[in-house]
Amino acid sequence: MKSDKIIEEILIEIEKHDGGMSRRHAMKLLAASPIAASVIASATIATEAEASSSSATGKIVIVGGGLAGVATAAKLTHRLANPDITLIEPNPHSVSYQPGQTLIAAGVWDKSDITYETANFIPKGVKWIKDTVVSFDPKNNKVTTADGTEIGYDYLVVATGLTLNFAAIKGLEGEITSMGANDVVRKKVGKDGVYSVYFADGAVDTRKGIDELIAKAKAHKGPEKLQALFTDPDTAIKCGGAPKKVMYITHDLLKKAGVRDKVELTFCPSGDKMFGVPEYNAAIFEQFKVRDFKWEFKTNLVAIDTEKKMATFEKKWLEKGEYDEDLKEYTMVSMSKLVEKKYDFIHITPPQKAPDLVGKSPIGSSKGWVPVVKETLQHVTYKNVFALGDVAAVPMGKTGGSARKQYNVVAENLIAVMEKQEKLPAAYDGYTVCPLITSIGTVAMLEFNWTAKPAPSFPLDPTQERWIWWLVKVYALKPMTIYGMLSGRA
Amino acid sequence: MKKMNLALCLMALVVLSGCGDKPKSDVVTYKYTPEQVYKETCLHCHGPKGEGVAEKKGPAINKQTIQELEMSLFDIKNGGLGQSTATEHDVMEHNMKKLAEKGYDYDIKMMATYIHNTFNITK
Repeated sequence: MKSDKIIEEILIEIEKHDGGMSRRHAMKLLAASPIAASVIASATIATEAEASSSSATGKIVIVGGGLAGVATAAKLTHRLANPDITLIEPNPHSVSYQPGQTLIAAGVWDKSDITYETANFIPKGVKWIKDTVVSFDPKNNKVTTADGTEIGYDYLVVATGLTLNFAAIKGLEGEITSMGANDVVRKKVGKDGVYSVYFADGAVDTRKGIDELIAKAKAHKGPEKLQALFTDPDTAIKCGGAPKKVMYITHDLLKKAGVRDKVELTFCPSGDKMFGVPEYNAAIFEQFKVRDFKWEFKTNLVAIDTEKKMATFEKKWLEKGEYDEDLKEYTMVSMSKLVEKKYDFIHITPPQKAPDLVGKSPIGSSKGWVPVVKETLQHVTYKNVFALGDVAAVPMGKTGGSARKQYNVVAENLIAVMEKQEKLPAAYDGYTVCPLITSIGTVAMLEFNWTAKPAPSFPLDPTQERWIWWLVKVYALKPMTIYGMLSGRA
Repeated sequence: MKKMNLALCLMALVVLSGCGDKPKSDVVTYKYTPEQVYKETCLHCHGPKGEGVAEKKGPAINKQTIQELEMSLFDIKNGGLGQSTATEHDVMEHNMKKLAEKGYDYDIKMMATYIHNTFNITK
């Protein structure tokens, strides 16, 4: 655990955002410190209890150099006495800190705060190939890169991340990633009231967009409110909380500007609940009511006319059908219709999918995501292949917090396969965390796993919005991720 | 100042590593075995061999891998695969709630394994 380095980074963060830490804040934090002290012991033990190194050998190829891929490379480097690891990643900024994109929209951070050079995080001894894998041949244990090079492997780790599929919405174009080229998407997104924090440049644009909305609200006359819509698509998405976080941030900035009463904020998700964990679901409903947010469930954005500022949603519902003697219930019939909504501001959470080069390859699946046993993260068909992070077919698992748990599981299980062990020792339990930003200054730390029950790390009511979690989110999680997780130690 | 930062760092460490108090996992017991649940309920719409029943709009489930079955059953029982994503099986999600009320609940992995081992025709 490079704790000195991490503390140093936290100090830099705090100094950089001068004024973020007032005397009152410092007092509160000190009051909370006994809680922190109570966990020192367990944290220390956990970091010192690293298993001894393995003498297993074999060529490991990791496809994808985001948080998941680099952390896995680092962990394997520590754990193997003679590591032979090749990492394939074309983007020189692949290790960006995506959880910070909402903070960019909030005006708390700049893009430079989340941008890191991948080169600085590639573990020593790992061979980095700066190219894209264009085909997978798992039967012959090889991949091919864009320049035509065939790369053989004994073991493969797939951590490519996912694709933001703006093109799936009629009227928009482009399939992009959070830190890559995005010109096609930005023809329509990032201006004229249409925004998305799901890519870094889009987050910068969203900040400007909220300012424009404030200016428009200040000039607005008449009884009709301006309309701000916030979407959430019908695919799995990274960071299930972000569609709502942007709404909270917009609300907070409008309120601080004194124009909240001029704008109606409506959440339009494809699903029929706020959150998959009942306790958190209930808490978010309360937060929505307090803020006078509107919501319309089962309302999925399918098209947008950016000229007319009109969004088209597919609205779904169930209608009572005939009585079913076998079921002893009335059957339900799935119904849908298109509804149009005018907007002054719309935040789009794009549909998301596995990159086609992965999803439609032999290691993909009918739904694209790489099919793995969700506990061991081993590929269902190819036992020398593992997948983790956004591209893996794992329920509720597309966050940095999940990847943080998954890379240890992949490293331990991969080593077990290399050592020809019968049983894979590590199991992922679906842990993930959503630091739900509920205002600029408060966060609810929503931790949970596949039991769909709260799994708080602290004896604090996790449904409460707290200033302490805001501090953790703004000052501590990034250094922990960038200097702890990427070095494979935290 | 130093103490404060250390506290912050440790809190983050615990959040990220999730090494604090784990939720007590409740032991769930089910009234019926996956086979009983299948034969008494699922069979009506998915067929005695998992081949599907067109007139009931029940799709075939005899060609899916265990992993596909597990993801679908998770989606049905959890009402979606993400934190707030819509289910891909809105009618079945509704039916499943009704079945669970009547005691026809099951462990996802055990049911996926039962369906696959009993009906799969692609092996």
